[in-house]
Amino acid sequence: MKRLVLTIALLAAAPALAQAAPLRIAAPAKAPGACAALPASAPAGERAYYALLAKRLEVEVQKCPVADAAAAGAALAAGQADLAVLDPAAFAPVAKTVRAILTVRPDGSLNRIPIVVAVKSGSSRKTLADLRGGVAAFGGVGRAAYDTPRRALADQGADAGFFAREDRPATPDLAVAELRAGNADALVLNAAAWQRLCRGDEPGEDLCKDLTVVWRGRPRAAKALAVRRDMPEQLRYRLIGIHMPMHLEATDAFAWGSSWIAGGAEFEPTEADALLPTQAAR
Amino acid sequence: MFRRRLGLFGAALALGAAGLAGCGGKAEGQGEGFAGMSQIRMAVRGSEDDPRMARRWSAYSDYLKAATGLPVKLYESSDYNGTIQALSSGQVDIATIAGGGYANVDAQVGDKVTPILTVRQAEGDMGYYSALLVKADSPFRTIQDLKGRSLGYVDFNSTSGYLYPRAMMREQGIDPDSFFGKTSFAGGHTQAVMALENGQFDATIINVAGGDPEHGFSTGAHFTMARRGLVDLDDFRIIWTVGPVPNAAIVVRTDRPQAFIDAARGALAAMPYDDPDLWRDTGQADGGALTAVNRTHYADIIALRAADLAQRRGGEGREGGRP
Repeated sequence: MKRLVLTIALLAAAPALAQAAPLRIAAPAKAPGACAALPASAPAGERAYYALLAKRLEVEVQKCPVADAAAAGAALAAGQADLAVLDPAAFAPVAKTVRAILTVRPDGSLNRIPIVVAVKSGSSRKTLADLRGGVAAFGGVGRAAYDTPRRALADQGADAGFFAREDRPATPDLAVAELRAGNADALVLNAAAWQRLCRGDEPGEDLCKDLTVVWRGRPRAAKALAVRRDMPEQLRYRLIGIHMPMHLEATDAFAWGSSWIAGGAEFEPTEADALLPTQAAR
Repeated sequence: MFRRRLGLFGAALALGAAGLAGCGGKAEGQGEGFAGMSQIRMAVRGSEDDPRMARRWSAYSDYLKAATGLPVKLYESSDYNGTIQALSSGQVDIATIAGGGYANVDAQVGDKVTPILTVRQAEGDMGYYSALLVKADSPFRTIQDLKGRSLGYVDFNSTSGYLYPRAMMREQGIDPDSFFGKTSFAGGHTQAVMALENGQFDATIINVAGGDPEHGFSTGAHFTMARRGLVDLDDFRIIWTVGPVPNAAIVVRTDRPQAFIDAARGALAAMPYDDPDLWRDTGQADGGALTAVNRTHYADIIALRAADLAQRRGGEGREGGRP
């Protein structure tokens, strides 16, 4: 009975104990040092950002001055910080213990939408790298049909000159017709266009049974807010949930918190490996 | 009207283990548990276009449970008003609701309920369209051809199937209360398509998406029904579209703990990135994502709802019962 009472007491006390732990933000600074509360002399936007996180998480938020983004990544990996802005170079060495959680969508830009590269089933080209020197048919022009897919491919090493020719017919239907006719080696679409193209109007119909996806992925993030992979999910989700409406609720905090991307419109969640510098097509 | 559908989970002691894990000097445990909440009550619409919705909502609730550590109870409403009343009365904590429904909630309880998320499609669109649908073998080619004929709306609380198209008709010089010979409510998008198929109306108004008026559409009630083998797309013709209408919102009661609201928003918004297969399983379009919104995003719909109510109070209601 005593053991049960003790267990219940420990369980009841656990949240309070946990809440005493500060949230530590690693941030590049001229003078690296220990984590500490933000000084009163900090810029107003920075104070607004820290104050918002502190209020919503109900914990003290500390700043951990570090030399650069690489040091911030190392601090995350070592458990000496909880949140930091990383770029792909800083992320790569700590990718096993650190993950991306939020990026900033620039004003006027699309989300980091997934891109699909498909070939005719039975093609000798089995990977994205195999498509070097081939002909790619994109599903049109514009940001969703060409610009974003092109950027995602470049992130994978399939940059300008990777394909011998890039065709941009007006619609996904025309692009897939080009592939099927043998006038292109690969079809490049955003995932929404691919889904619409392949989903039939009859029960269980798959209009793309004759095609094989050889690569699927999002454009790589230029920078992202990152945390340790073992951060409890609830805390990670709260951080996402606090950041996402920041541009609506606390514009000063948003301006400072998103300043690592020019012209930021809003925070958006991201996949764990958004910063991973994949080079599959090189 | 409103019934508890899935009592998925028993009482949970989620706060303990996760909370203890946060004692290592890292900020791991902040906010475990939500004061005053022992479960999450989520309102969902049932059997709208697709009976597989139940399975989808079950997956949705499993995800939310894993994310928050709280058991999730789904409350399935059989019509729009069920969700509206559940939100307004505080019977549920969170719900997905179309803009017109939210406008109704807003009129009842104001800022006690707020939208937190909506879908941004891959191409950046954040809305869908209302489409006037007729039988393909009918003589109707334009909305003007329907003067004096029968029209089936979806529901009084439907945005795309009632509120928005009526406002746009007025803008185009058509008084929806006198132009048609008879109007009635089908009760849902699926019911509206079936009633049209069965000859109960000359036309109906439903939602369509996955495209635009110039290039055509690929999603919506009659597309979903065709994929289930219930109707043949060739049996229908769209003769008038208006939009875009702001996409439906995920809304929460604002008198719930802020930590819960933040966690729910973060968890749901992370789904297309953390679990893209589940995102698709819940019926969402590939490449779409959730973006943060607030009341301002639906201000036009709120104004349309108020104007429509005022218009109806000023004239004779012509809507009859369901077909």
